[in-house]
Amino acid sequence: MANPINVSAGNEAVLVLADSAANANIDAGATTGLVVPYMQDVTINNSTGVFRWKTLDNTAENAVTTPSTNQLTLNVVVDSDSFFGDGLGGDSVKDAGIFGSSKAKTKVFFEVGFEGRDSGSKILKGSGYISGLAPTVNMDAPVWVTPVTIEVDGDYTEDTAS
Amino acid sequence: MAIRDDLKANLDVALAGSSVSVSSELPWTSAGEPLYIKNMKKVYLDEDNINKTELFSTLDNQDVVQTETSVTGYLAVDAKTQPTDIDTIVSNVLNSRLAITNQAVSECDMSTSTEADVLVYQFQFNFITV
Repeated sequence: MANPINVSAGNEAVLVLADSAANANIDAGATTGLVVPYMQDVTINNSTGVFRWKTLDNTAENAVTTPSTNQLTLNVVVDSDSFFGDGLGGDSVKDAGIFGSSKAKTKVFFEVGFEGRDSGSKILKGSGYISGLAPTVNMDAPVWVTPVTIEVDGDYTEDTAS
Repeated sequence: MAIRDDLKANLDVALAGSSVSVSSELPWTSAGEPLYIKNMKKVYLDEDNINKTELFSTLDNQDVVQTETSVTGYLAVDAKTQPTDIDTIVSNVLNSRLAITNQAVSECDMSTSTEADVLVYQFQFNFITV
């Protein structure tokens, strides 16, 4: 039976960032990592490269896929604590914020919840580097918004929240 | 405090000593005739009209909402013999939009219409805040 994942409840699409895989725990009740607030959208890119070749005995090209380029891209409304850090110590990503982690080129670990944080919910894990920040504001929309890219180092890991 | 109240407080000061005054009443209609027609040379301000719309919709439902508030003001004068200081009065009413602080947009459009020998100035104030 088809089971589309509907995120309109507001607690389904979740992104947690942290300075270690353990701290990036998305499970309900876990508070160590930075739960990115005010996400307008999030896109998980898993784009393979393709190598193609032709042979004399074939009328069509052959192809194999090559290693993926993995990226997380999102747009967020800038929240002071999450962007500049809460400055409370603890997890360095939460402490320094998205901007601080990008500036310091800190490796961040992430967990993306597709169905929220409850036990059994589908998640993707990985690690990478924050890039592509470009906060912008204007008087027609006088609230800062910024794109964020996480250039994923390596592969995603599929898991479920526990 | 309603924006109408702030506008009225500002207009009370800005129009003091001019040919017109500011009424605290709403521009309701009496016997088929709006008060601002019945009582010329008085500025009437209608109630706030408020519209809340989503500026940014977010996945965690902490949507960023903007509030648009509009207020309509009316001033009727004798079309044949307008007050000598009408230009200053109109300018002061238009500028009263600046008295409403913390707004991303503060606009006031003025239009006129003539009913018999009465010239009606209508001021449409629009404010947007987030």
